[in-house]
Amino acid sequence: MNEQAVRRLTAEVLAGIAPEADLATVSDTEDLREALDLDSMDFLNFVIALGEKTGVSVPEADMGRLRTMKGLLAYLSR
Amino acid sequence: MPAKSGTSGTRIRISPAARRRAQELGVDPVRLHGTGIEGALTVADVERAAAAPAAPLVRGGFDPAQMRLAIAAAMSRSKREIPHYYLSATIDFGSAAAWLAAYNGGRDPAQRLLPAVLLLKATARALVEVPQLNGFHEGGVFRPGPGVHVGWAIALRGGGLVAPAIHDADRLSLPALMTSLRDLIGRARAGGLRSSELTDPTITVTSLGDRGAESVLGVIYPPQVAIVGFGRVVERPWVIDGAVVPRSLVVATLAADHRSSDGHLGGQLLAAIDRALQSPETL
Repeated sequence: MNEQAVRRLTAEVLAGIAPEADLATVSDTEDLREALDLDSMDFLNFVIALGEKTGVSVPEADMGRLRTMKGLLAYLSR
Repeated sequence: MPAKSGTSGTRIRISPAARRRAQELGVDPVRLHGTGIEGALTVADVERAAAAPAAPLVRGGFDPAQMRLAIAAAMSRSKREIPHYYLSATIDFGSAAAWLAAYNGGRDPAQRLLPAVLLLKATARALVEVPQLNGFHEGGVFRPGPGVHVGWAIALRGGGLVAPAIHDADRLSLPALMTSLRDLIGRARAGGLRSSELTDPTITVTSLGDRGAESVLGVIYPPQVAIVGFGRVVERPWVIDGAVVPRSLVVATLAADHRSSDGHLGGQLLAAIDRALQSPETL
């Protein structure tokens, strides 16, 4: 996936979880959970949905790497 | 709101004070069931109706103003009528955290469990041991709950909260509880809860999650008699066998109705929750 695709996918998945969230206001290094007020269930659902769309099953130990846009780009644009 | 609605055109019996309160709270008295003399609507009936599901039954979302009024009515009544007492205990969450990490380690995200599920199950189990805190205070007496129906407090986006029931939580497996929790949170936020889910809880549990404060002392949701609170799981120094070690801890609290129980009993509930969390494999 290229950068644009990752950003688009992230926005799409987050729209289903936090409909009022505006990803455009969040910097690439900000913790998405803080910025968008996601609780642990929201974040787990986010990772599940990402997995469904990309076919990547994210190991528990890697969850922390998906908390920022920067981390998502590094993890998914491979 | 109660699911049953009155027949239109039927004259309703309602006291002037209750009528006024209904207007203040935006409750339609025609749809309510009265508990006063000859079925007359009382102020309490109106407040209960406002406090219960009010907005939640509207599909597609809650009306924040209505929700604020409903919470205000229920919590004011609670503080006015219920003599709360409070207890708290710091619980070693180390075994539970280790068990959870091992359980989640080999599983797909969709199969994983959150710490909240262990807290929920431990509380439900503890309530089986201390049933005097699971039920209602009504008409001056305690009425035990028909099962352990845990009202799980869910914060809504944009403010407000609801606490719908997870029925018979003591008898559900951890994966089943996780499924229930996910379903309930999703429907609470989308406005798709059933009215029975909002009136069935026999106790409330509020868990602040991984970004919350370290402890929470709740306000009892009448006519329930207790609310259990869990703060965020934190890593802190802890003494094990005389040595200070870093350990995952969680502060559990209880607010309970002094009309139907005393602190001694409340302490037994917190102790039972602690015990349950020390053997996560049995949950």
